[in-house]
Amino acid sequence: MSEYAEKIRGIAKKLLDDGTVDMVIGFRKGTIPLINEPCFVKDGAKVDALIWDSSCGVNLANYLPKRKEKIGVVAKGCDSRNIVTHIVENQITREQLYIIGVPCTGMIDRRKIRLAVGKEILSVSEADGKVTVSGDGYEEVLDKQEMLQDNCAICAHRNPVISDEMVADPVPEQTEVDRYQDVKAVEAMDAEARWNHFEQLLDGCIRCYACRNACPLCYCPTCFVDESQPQWVGKSIDKTDTRTFHFLRAFHCAGRCTDCGACERACPVGIPVRQFTKKLEKDCKELYDWEAGMSLDVRPPLDTYRAEDPDEFIK
Amino acid sequence: MADWEPKIVAFLCNWCSYGAADLAGVSRMQYPANIRVVRIPCTGRMSPKFALAAFRKGADAVWVSG
Amino acid sequence: MLTKSDIESISGEVGNFSVSLTRQPRYVDMDLCVGCGACAEKCPKKVPDGYNSDLSKRKAIYVEYAQAVPLKYAIDGDYCLKIQKDKCGNCAKVCPAGAIRYDDKPETVTLNVGSVVLAPGFKPFDPKGLDSYKYSEHKNVITSMEFERILSASGPTHGHVTRPSDGEEPTKIAWLQCVGSRDMNRCDNPYCSSVCCMYAIKEAVIAKEHQGDSLDCAVFFMDMRTHGKDFEAFYDKARNDAGVRFVRSRVHTVTEDPETKDLEMRYVTEDGKIEVEKFDMVVLSVGLEISSELVELANKLDVDLGPNRFAATDSFSPVVTSREGIYVCGAFAGPKDIPQAVVDSSAAASCAGQVLSSARNTCTKTKEKVPETPVKGEPPRLGVFVCKCGINIAGVVDVPAVVEYAKSLPFVEYASENLYSCSQDTQDGMAELIREKGLNRIVVAACTPKTHEPLFQETLINAGLNKYLFEMTNIRNHDSWVHKSTPDLATEKAKDLVRMAVQKAALITPLAEAELSVNPNGLVIGGGVAGMAAALSLAKQGYATHLIEKTAQLGGTALSLHKTWKGEDIQENVARMVKEVEDNENITVYMDTELESVDGFVGNFTSTLKGKDKETTLEYGVAIVATGALESKPTEYLYGQDPRVRTSLEMDKLFQDDDPALKEIKSAAFIQCVGSREPGRPYCSRVCCTHSVDSAIALKKRNPETDVYILYRDIRTYGERELIYKKAREAGVLFIRYGVDNKPIVSVTEGNLTVRVRDHVLGKVMEIPLDALTLATAIVPPDNSKIAQFYKVPINDTGYYVERHAKLGPSEFATDGVFLCGLAHYPKPIDESVAQAQAAASRAVTLLAREKIFTSGTIAVTSPADCSECGVCIALCPYSAPSFSTERPFPGKATINPVLCKGCGLCVASCRSGAIHLNGFDNNQILAMIDAL
Repeated sequence: MSEYAEKIRGIAKKLLDDGTVDMVIGFRKGTIPLINEPCFVKDGAKVDALIWDSSCGVNLANYLPKRKEKIGVVAKGCDSRNIVTHIVENQITREQLYIIGVPCTGMIDRRKIRLAVGKEILSVSEADGKVTVSGDGYEEVLDKQEMLQDNCAICAHRNPVISDEMVADPVPEQTEVDRYQDVKAVEAMDAEARWNHFEQLLDGCIRCYACRNACPLCYCPTCFVDESQPQWVGKSIDKTDTRTFHFLRAFHCAGRCTDCGACERACPVGIPVRQFTKKLEKDCKELYDWEAGMSLDVRPPLDTYRAEDPDEFIK
Repeated sequence: MADWEPKIVAFLCNWCSYGAADLAGVSRMQYPANIRVVRIPCTGRMSPKFALAAFRKGADAVWVSG
Repeated sequence: MLTKSDIESISGEVGNFSVSLTRQPRYVDMDLCVGCGACAEKCPKKVPDGYNSDLSKRKAIYVEYAQAVPLKYAIDGDYCLKIQKDKCGNCAKVCPAGAIRYDDKPETVTLNVGSVVLAPGFKPFDPKGLDSYKYSEHKNVITSMEFERILSASGPTHGHVTRPSDGEEPTKIAWLQCVGSRDMNRCDNPYCSSVCCMYAIKEAVIAKEHQGDSLDCAVFFMDMRTHGKDFEAFYDKARNDAGVRFVRSRVHTVTEDPETKDLEMRYVTEDGKIEVEKFDMVVLSVGLEISSELVELANKLDVDLGPNRFAATDSFSPVVTSREGIYVCGAFAGPKDIPQAVVDSSAAASCAGQVLSSARNTCTKTKEKVPETPVKGEPPRLGVFVCKCGINIAGVVDVPAVVEYAKSLPFVEYASENLYSCSQDTQDGMAELIREKGLNRIVVAACTPKTHEPLFQETLINAGLNKYLFEMTNIRNHDSWVHKSTPDLATEKAKDLVRMAVQKAALITPLAEAELSVNPNGLVIGGGVAGMAAALSLAKQGYATHLIEKTAQLGGTALSLHKTWKGEDIQENVARMVKEVEDNENITVYMDTELESVDGFVGNFTSTLKGKDKETTLEYGVAIVATGALESKPTEYLYGQDPRVRTSLEMDKLFQDDDPALKEIKSAAFIQCVGSREPGRPYCSRVCCTHSVDSAIALKKRNPETDVYILYRDIRTYGERELIYKKAREAGVLFIRYGVDNKPIVSVTEGNLTVRVRDHVLGKVMEIPLDALTLATAIVPPDNSKIAQFYKVPINDTGYYVERHAKLGPSEFATDGVFLCGLAHYPKPIDESVAQAQAAASRAVTLLAREKIFTSGTIAVTSPADCSECGVCIALCPYSAPSFSTERPFPGKATINPVLCKGCGLCVASCRSGAIHLNGFDNNQILAMIDAL
């Protein structure tokens, strides 16, 4: 991991010093363990702040829309796909970007670690697939693979799909994963069970919109939840309003979501909100053989029409 | 439930299905009266928001046709 | 519109014809009839319904079908009890409009016109006379026209497929092709009817879609002729995906099981075996022919007919009849499908327009405008008018209760009922009420806005209100007519519908219709036959036309062609066209020139043309794309390796030059479908069969001793071209069929060119020594991507441009102001290219002649502050209306060109940011209707 950080710093320094970019977006150590922060470096002398480990879950594509300057950006597989989506959606141009690609072996889920340890965590280190957690008078070694974020555990695109420079050789992709086990389980439920499932799922939602704010896809000047003419969604935590919010948020991500997990990571009450977006992601895969953010040259399936598009639903 | 009648909201494309509903009338085809039609200029106009809004207003089924 | 009228005679000449017509009695006053149908309901006389192929009954007073234009009733005088026996008279009693006229008499009408277009159509072949199929005796043998009606949702069985003998669902249906076509023995129609293969496939696919996969559909054919655009792909799909069986065999007899009424057919399979198969139903794919009445009409009008009774025309003037000033379109000029008939009709309009161009706009009247009352900022003052439509609504819905209910709704200032809202006196009364009560939004609860919205909008205009301050709700077609047995529920529904309309109406705002001037110049891209024909057509209608040609010569691919199948000399005709183009003072030709850029939109394009040594900037109102297509160069059959192997055009070159090499040819073969109808290029190139057959005849003519072979997959000499196929066989040309998986093999041994092919009749491999081999290679489009991007028009998978509508808009693009013709659309022969060029010009003139374009009020508009610049609207719009603004105050934000917007709302629904609004159907308005549920 530290080699990655070294390499990132080196590239960042070179880019800033020779004026290739005006700013590098990467990660720096967070104020508490397991949550690293995005970091914006504009001076080649300050690149030492940049780090890399398995707590760099924030999707850095979030910081790109509408930027005017030239930017070097650190990108994992999912970040890179969201960068592609941003370029396709006209949020930034390819020419503005220098993409520092990071092959990713998955981000660790702070909740899983906390649950496993059950004590206050003061420091975390990792090596050879193991995560060492220590605190006041204890140290525990955990298997990283078991501590991965849910989306990382089933990630099929760990390597960046687009980059100007890679910090390391690609890591092997996980080919044997069943990406849609949870969706299939929901699909198999009858209407009533499904209703109850989602009722329970959304039970704790406090409508804080953290999932929306963390999502790189959400960049509208005015979100539909804030519109008043007409008012699509009431602003209460009335169940119907909450449901409407989650459904519409998912719809807005259809054909665009890369399953980066930002929404779930951000949720303060731990709702697995990816269940909504993943259903649509699965549909896009099955109906249009589409995975978001894989190519700069192909328009997303929901804003193109092709004669061979499936139309079974009309029958 | 035996005499329960669903409330159906239909979003019909002005150019085809709305016209078809007109023709059903011209042909005096008879059907139950529990359907309310919202004319839209094209099913392309249809938004998931409309479907959700209709359900919120108590619709038992939403029919989009075009 | 003159219905039920026959032409008696046409005297005079082009520019000043006198047309004498007899208008047959309709017995219904067209001005008074409101189409309510009360008459037909009470009419006791049932009559076979000709529209449904007599499979069902209609009344003696009737409209032909639900979509009929005009939607006015007529009495069938031959059946009406009042007219025949002076009994009944029900219709006059119940007609609320007093429109019945039993004393109506035939009337002579004389019209003075400058030109005439004949579009009398065709008659489906009547198979009654064919004793082999026993159509009259076997109940389950029906014609394809009857089957069309059975498949139709508005047909006698509501689209449910049942067989006539017992009303049971069939499990096996056979289609027999070429009934009344390609047949001189049992009828007098040697030509191919062109459309039957395709409609039979369509019927089979729809029947299977409707009935499910268990239905067995088999089409018995001789040659499968799917030569139209995208037709071959449909055939492939029917065969491979839908599982329709195709049997290459001509069935000679159909016998009926007297018990079950099943039908037994004996036929010979391709490998010579005799099969006996039972079917539940047999559909005869009947051909198209010209009726004796039409022959009589043509004689009366002094219009020449060809040997097959179709109107005689020339390949270079395909819609011009032998009588000057009289034009023809549709199947009267030869069997053809819908797209071609639509092309012809526009072409005929173009030719008729040329003659009349000096008279354009001389009969227009300008209407006096009532000044518009400003309503912005004023609270809504709604007027609600509930129509009784005689008894049509009031007979079921409690109209007074609906009126009372309407009065209780918010913002409603006034509500009342009308007996007939659409009658002139009611309209005047409504205008008066609007003024008197100061109403500023109007709701009419009546029939359908699809027919009546414009009428009421006119009333608003007359009352000084913006016409968009109007909302209509349908309590007749969608309510009283369809819920007759539940009047209470129908009344409740009417109230709901009125409430929904009122809620929406409270939110509607006046909308403006922008006005835009049209630059009267036209641009034609491509100087081939199609481009020249289009330019000539525009120029002759009085419009300055710019014709650009990439090469140094006008004429395009036609320069390499020898003769049309009708025998016309192509070089002579092309030379004449070139001279005509050069002599026409309305046409400016730009040689060696290509399009460099396109800015603007319909009515106001600006382009840079790049010539050899100069650039020109051009402003124009419409563009016609006629960029043509090319002969592909094959990589198989030793092409390029042996000089005796040539493409069709290279062979034509020998004919054109009267090359002495032709004399040396003792044995010649043609291989068809070289590069066409194959996985990589799945379409049929349409012209090659006719071309090869014609060349084969030419070889035989030069030297009858020459052995000529045509190696083919299906011979597609469609329409009257079939006659040269027959002629070729009579001349001794040998036709050998091969399969795509068993292609001929061409080889050279010791200098001898040989083709090996398996003969399907003899069932053995033939080895044919050759002096010349002609490859009928595919026609392929050039790279059209540049022009496609310039005008934002689509290209399909095979590289051809995509027209607005495959059937109804074949010569124009979805993007306004851009038109399409010739091979750029799809491979086609010269007559069809010329027709489409004239059609494109005709469509273009409909814009140019207007001088000004008014946009609709119901269009999308953006709210720049909400736009996230994601570009979905731009990618999505089929009409290229949205774009990113390049100007202040909102550079980078999406903006919608009101001229191009069709108001469909696709962009509105797809805008995640809620930045697009659809005037007239905005989110808050639709939501208000949903809220009112």
